[in-house]
Amino acid sequence: MKSLKNHLSVIIPLFVLLFSIQFTSLTSKIVKNYSTKLIQDYSIVIVAPKTISQAVLKSKVSGIKSMEEISSKKILDRLKGNISSKNISLLKIALPKFYSLKLASFPSVKEIKRIEKKLIDSGLVTKVETFSKTHNLIYRIFQALKNISFIFSIFILVISVLLMFKQMKVWLLEHNERMAIMTLFGAPFWMKSAILYRLVIVDSFISTAIVSSLYIMLPRIDSINAFTKSMNIDIPKFELLKDTGILLGISLVFSLIIVSLVIRKMNK
Amino acid sequence: MEHVINAENLTLSYGRDEPIITNAQMKITPNEFVFITGKSGSGKSTLLKSMYGELIPKKGDLNICGVNIKNITTSKLNLLRRYLGIVFQDYRLINDWTVEKNVMLPLLIGGFSKGVCVKQAQKLLKHVKLLHKADKYPLELSGGEQQRVAMARALAHNPVMILADEPTGNLDEYSSEVIWDLLKNARDHLGTTVIVVTHHIPSTLGIDYKHFFLESGVVYEVS
Repeated sequence: MKSLKNHLSVIIPLFVLLFSIQFTSLTSKIVKNYSTKLIQDYSIVIVAPKTISQAVLKSKVSGIKSMEEISSKKILDRLKGNISSKNISLLKIALPKFYSLKLASFPSVKEIKRIEKKLIDSGLVTKVETFSKTHNLIYRIFQALKNISFIFSIFILVISVLLMFKQMKVWLLEHNERMAIMTLFGAPFWMKSAILYRLVIVDSFISTAIVSSLYIMLPRIDSINAFTKSMNIDIPKFELLKDTGILLGISLVFSLIIVSLVIRKMNK
Repeated sequence: MEHVINAENLTLSYGRDEPIITNAQMKITPNEFVFITGKSGSGKSTLLKSMYGELIPKKGDLNICGVNIKNITTSKLNLLRRYLGIVFQDYRLINDWTVEKNVMLPLLIGGFSKGVCVKQAQKLLKHVKLLHKADKYPLELSGGEQQRVAMARALAHNPVMILADEPTGNLDEYSSEVIWDLLKNARDHLGTTVIVVTHHIPSTLGIDYKHFFLESGVVYEVS
């Protein structure tokens, strides 16, 4: 019972820490995937007095993926009944060129302003419509989500470190007598501390296994699935080897550093 | 090695307190049986502590097995301690280890294989007549039995020197006899130097020994 309590005292902070790290990573991936989706639908409309070549525009303004001319044929066809064909021809010549620009990546507010300024400064464009109002709102929601999960992780990290330090001190006091006896018989540092290192390594594996299982199960829960579908969000797949490896690495490094620090401090 | 212990002007104190031992001169040669006696609080245990490096001298020199422990590094001290067998009055056994594993401790530290450790531990437990309790835990044994386990542990790695702090202080007659026999055997058959801190030297021991007497922080050799 005491042993279980001892293990839980390390497993719980490690679990919370790993869960929050994975949550931050997941949020980041969701935001990235969603922004990729958005960028496919998002475009900037420009108006130019003359025909512009895509290569020329790309050389003057970075961040543009592609450019497509918006045909004025439909508008002119609608006017055919009311205006003579001669005037239509004149209008066709006088009408400016409309283009739709696709961007390489989902832009920040700052990035949109930069692109807008560059387009105007290029002298090729007379008007730019970025639809920034709608875009800004979505972008700010994403940023807020990312920042909140990051701050949440930092907060959890601090709490976990404090809990782990406390538990390590409890363990050390419990093992103090054994370590003192071993010292009197000339045991090296690693041998005296081996049991503590073994305990945190085992607990790291257990915590990682629990967090990994949870994130594997998460997309299979119906209510979560329904919620993400309603939000048009895809939960990224948990990559068993890669993600588990990262979580285990973080868990081991984190717990081994803490146990080493506490042992050294107590030895002094 | 001429002397296993060579103390010159040895002064010992705890922190900045008054010295407990002042300007002690001691020379102990290999294979000697040595008693250190004195009244309670005279500094016998303090002197013994300095011999296994738990108390570093403030002044003077103390050479243990040819190593001056005054400025010894932790790794060298660890190495030195592997040549010593220590017996404490309060046994200092690891309570969550079995009797057998406790006896194996110095061998495990010495890096011996598990097979060798088990074989040697069982041999020694047989010597101290506790082989049948090899799988028990220290707190399941009587005081006398625990001290016999501690003695077996001290002998497990055939140490150069045994340092025993009142090894029979709390024991019954039978356990005391077992302890003295083991110490004598170690000296006679393994060539081990034995240093015992005690209040009384047993009159029935029947061996030659060297005797140091402590009084008011001064070490006298009794001839």
